[in-house]
Amino acid sequence: MFNNLMHTSCLHIISCVADHSMTTSKTGSLLTTHVLNTADGVPGARMALSLHRLDPQMALWNLVSKGTTDEDGQCSDLISRDEFTAGMYKLRFETRQYWESLCQSSFYPYIEIVFTITDLDQTFHLPLLLSRYSYSTYKGI
Amino acid sequence: MSIRLQHIKDHILAANQCAEMSSPPYSPLTTHVLNTGRGIPAASMVISLHLRNHTAASWTLLRTGATNDDGRCPGLITREAFVPGVYKMRFETGRYWEALGETCFYPYVEIVFTITDAAQKFHVPLLLSRFSYSTYRGS
Repeated sequence: MFNNLMHTSCLHIISCVADHSMTTSKTGSLLTTHVLNTADGVPGARMALSLHRLDPQMALWNLVSKGTTDEDGQCSDLISRDEFTAGMYKLRFETRQYWESLCQSSFYPYIEIVFTITDLDQTFHLPLLLSRYSYSTYKGI
Repeated sequence: MSIRLQHIKDHILAANQCAEMSSPPYSPLTTHVLNTGRGIPAASMVISLHLRNHTAASWTLLRTGATNDDGRCPGLITREAFVPGVYKMRFETGRYWEALGETCFYPYVEIVFTITDAAQKFHVPLLLSRFSYSTYRGS
């Protein structure tokens, strides 16, 4: 009976750890973004974006990943733990294409948010609140 | 003309000259940088204005300057030079915060915008803190 209890407990612990790992890998992405169309009050869905890292030696931007926001305007898993090094990055949002798909023009043909990563133990959430004639961003977690 | 009228005329001319000297040069494109972290204008921030060169897919530097004590930078561009195209205004935000003894998440901010009707007036402000910023098209 004791062995059964231990067996059940071990299975429970393993299950909890696995669930936590799955939760962490999904919601604990190192760098995420969320695009919100503040003009229409909806998520900025299906917006193309890309992440770049600056090569300071060559003074060039290297493409790290490309993505598209989902129906909720979110995009995660932009960079893996191995790729996530300290440095200067930029997130580029293809805003003209986005507004064109809505049959509208935009003051901003694209938006690039350039930021510096020094503490690799943090997670970074960089949202973009956007209308045709304004935008804002902030550093979240 | 009588001496008295001449004096009055000279006074009016001098006043006009003073008005010309004190009024900022006109620019159809303006900016205003506000430090929302401290609730003050962002003075002495280096900014530059660029125009995209369509053929070379590069940028032409039009003007560099620094914001005044009110966070503004008068005389960015003349009406004659302001043509339709894609412009970029770059703000040296990292250097600005460094001068205040602080770090900033954004080493610089570049706002890229399209001008189709150069007859209008455009105001492109930047509201900035160490960890956020916003902009909008004003007039």
